[in-house]
Amino acid sequence: MGASEHTGRTHPRTTYEDGHGSRVSQPNTEAPAVELRNVDKSFYGVKANDGVSFTLARGEVHALLGENGAGKSTLCSILAGLYRPEAGEMFLDGVHTDFKSPKEALAAGVGMIYQHFRLVPNLTVAENIALGHPDTRTRLDHKKIQRDAFDLGERYGLPVDPTARIWQLSVGEQQRVEILKLLYRNARVLILDEPTAVLTPQESKGLFATMRQMAEEGRSVIFVSHKLQEVKEVSDHVTVLRHGRTVGGVATRDAQPTDLARLMVGRDLVLPTRKPNTTIGAPVLEVENLSVHGDRGLEDVRGVSFDVKAGEIVGIAGVGGNGQRELALGLIGLKTPSAGTVKIDGADVTNASVRRHIRAGCSYVPQNRLGMGLAPGLTTEENLALKAFGRPPYSKGSRLNASAFRDEGARQIEQYDIRGVRPGLPIRLLSGGNLQKALIAREVEMEPKVLILRSPTRGLDVGATEAVRNQALAERERGVAVLLISEDLDELLALSDRLLVLYEGKIVGEMPAEDATAERLGLLMAGQTEEASS
Amino acid sequence: MTRRFIVEPRGLASLRLRILVPVLSVLAALIVSGVFLAITGENPLAVYGEMIDAAFGSGRGISETLISSTPLILTGVAAALAFKMLVWNIGGEGQFIMGAVFASGVAIWLGPGAPAAIALPVVIVAGGLGGAAWASVAAIPRVYLGTNEIITTLMLNFIALSFMNFLIFGSSSPWRDPAVSTFPSGRPIPDNARLPEFFNRLDIGIFIAIVLAVAAWWLIGKTRWGFAVRIVGDSPATAEYVGITVPKKILAVFLLSGAAAGLAGGLFVSGPVGALDPRSLDLGLGFTGIIVAALAGLNLIAVIPVAILMGALNNAGPSLQSIGVPTATVTMMQGAILIFAVAGEFFIRHRIRRPKREPEAEGLAEAATA
Repeated sequence: MGASEHTGRTHPRTTYEDGHGSRVSQPNTEAPAVELRNVDKSFYGVKANDGVSFTLARGEVHALLGENGAGKSTLCSILAGLYRPEAGEMFLDGVHTDFKSPKEALAAGVGMIYQHFRLVPNLTVAENIALGHPDTRTRLDHKKIQRDAFDLGERYGLPVDPTARIWQLSVGEQQRVEILKLLYRNARVLILDEPTAVLTPQESKGLFATMRQMAEEGRSVIFVSHKLQEVKEVSDHVTVLRHGRTVGGVATRDAQPTDLARLMVGRDLVLPTRKPNTTIGAPVLEVENLSVHGDRGLEDVRGVSFDVKAGEIVGIAGVGGNGQRELALGLIGLKTPSAGTVKIDGADVTNASVRRHIRAGCSYVPQNRLGMGLAPGLTTEENLALKAFGRPPYSKGSRLNASAFRDEGARQIEQYDIRGVRPGLPIRLLSGGNLQKALIAREVEMEPKVLILRSPTRGLDVGATEAVRNQALAERERGVAVLLISEDLDELLALSDRLLVLYEGKIVGEMPAEDATAERLGLLMAGQTEEASS
Repeated sequence: MTRRFIVEPRGLASLRLRILVPVLSVLAALIVSGVFLAITGENPLAVYGEMIDAAFGSGRGISETLISSTPLILTGVAAALAFKMLVWNIGGEGQFIMGAVFASGVAIWLGPGAPAAIALPVVIVAGGLGGAAWASVAAIPRVYLGTNEIITTLMLNFIALSFMNFLIFGSSSPWRDPAVSTFPSGRPIPDNARLPEFFNRLDIGIFIAIVLAVAAWWLIGKTRWGFAVRIVGDSPATAEYVGITVPKKILAVFLLSGAAAGLAGGLFVSGPVGALDPRSLDLGLGFTGIIVAALAGLNLIAVIPVAILMGALNNAGPSLQSIGVPTATVTMMQGAILIFAVAGEFFIRHRIRRPKREPEAEGLAEAATA
């Protein structure tokens, strides 16, 4: 593969359409690949991008760093033509541009890989790659596309079987298909929105190599992340966003992680971590040989045994989709286990109803806050009473006590620092951090013996993450048995007293916090046994 | 790339807006209908004047309007209850008819001998039971087998209608009046089972309907059971997770919805109609209830004024014929109101504003392009 061929492929166009449909020729080759000037975009009256300016050079990996809600995804979606800004200008190779749709952006060479993949599960890899490609409107040359897909994959270190169907692939493989889709369209600007969130540490390394290779060929890569370490490792340049504004831009090699962190958060911040606990008590949650069948009728949890003691946080690590959901649902009574036993405080609750689990002292913070944990259309006060509404003070006999909803609600909103609440406002309009604070408040107010948390800080900004972690640690202090099911290794390592690794529905490793490292967990999460790796 | 208008979702619509938008929707519908009337050579103001006069201009007009509104309040409650729970019961029509069949059947079976103090309540309850029983035919498979209630309830409407026609036109059932041989009609309900009238032809059915709408609002809004129902209606997955038995709640609401529509049918036969008379019952009152519920934004109290508005329109229809305007005009106006009300929802949920450009940013942008 000659470099000249790449260069030729990388800059195929000499004409672009500007916003008014007239043709503008000869882009300025000295100009940056993409430039945004003073871009505004609001949602619900909140400015997601507020006068953002951003320059992307050719052949660089450019990291966009910022907390959740800082405006990174909005900025990327504007670049990719998904959103249209309310004010500001965009230049592509120095030419004024206004994308009306992602299709236009893609035609001009700008493509994005979203956090939630845009793939058709029932189609093959090759078909997904061909889907919507300008050359395949009328006829599909399957053999050729498969060959091309395979070649591209070989060249960029993105191995994937072109004839496999998407649903058969792991999340990491699906991401490769998304990248191949863009490369097949010869995108010159590739935007990856938090691509490492779904990968094991080892898979992330592979992705970084691919990103570097694409940059060396003269393509530009935008890498969105809130992980400083990754940014440091792969990028040439960093732009930091906070509250919808650009607050800094530096060459990565000159950037100190602590400076970047301060820029990102706006203050010095140390996330809480656990202190060794000497008061670990008797087992409260005891799970023996538990098997749970998932919605597809497969055994997604296969003979799992563990316990969680009073005053202990046990972390369950694993790549998403390895049985976490089914395990959690089995533990809270939403799915009846097909085998094994679950005991809370010595009482067998294996086949008990959800209500009996709640009464036995089992609280659960699900991953999907609005989908399962909260009733999105009800108010915050109502949501805080979602589990306790059937008893005093919320109910007197069969009647609701409106003043209890108001008073208890006000107290909890104050105590748990839930912001943005207005009378009558549906809870879905609160920010992710406040949703999670409300959800955890309700679960903690039930005074549980067992608290199960699933990815409790996913999608939260640093401030809310801090609050959630503190809450989990406070419950541990109170003597609650806490089970933390998460995909975030940093969080698991910071909070857990003991770690388990879940792989394909089985526990494939157990270690005390002192012996755990990201690398060791990563290998186990990828299905490698300890013997094979050592 | 600056845009002239921005449409964005609105967080929380104020009460004023939620009242203003439906009122403006009705006005817009009247204007559009007025244009239509003008094109067909009528004077819209004269037509509207005639309608208002017919509906509210006299004691008789008002009583007839409220008579027309009574079943609409209940079928509106039926639809609103179900839709709030994401149960798409569009079988109000069939449940209405079955309520009428049950109520008139029980009244005829009791005969004229039973004391009114017993006959009347029994007949009213029978109407509700008839509606609930007919709803259960769709509700039970929906809850336990996952069948699509939109299709089953819709189909059951036609079965109920055919069943009623069979009772009167196709058989010599007890519902059919044996005294009339020229054209088949329903057997008159004995007086002991008729609702007492108190103002022209207006009977106490209107109070029963209003009390029921308020009771339904109280049940959903103010009781423990109602709160559980609202959780299920908002998010079934969340309801299950907080320990609520979701199928039981859905079944109960589905049956209550059917009972409200059935009660409408029962009150209609034991009130103004006085017999199981297909020509008087086949008016689409169950379907109109869906429009009422939609216009009321599924609010069980708002159902009452909306039903009175719709009742007034229905009542005004025949009077238009006297000035040479087809009665179908009213149907068209109801359709127009529904379309505008649904479109108006958009403005409750979204706001449209002009982008504000900060002078500072503008200066910068100019400096950058210069």
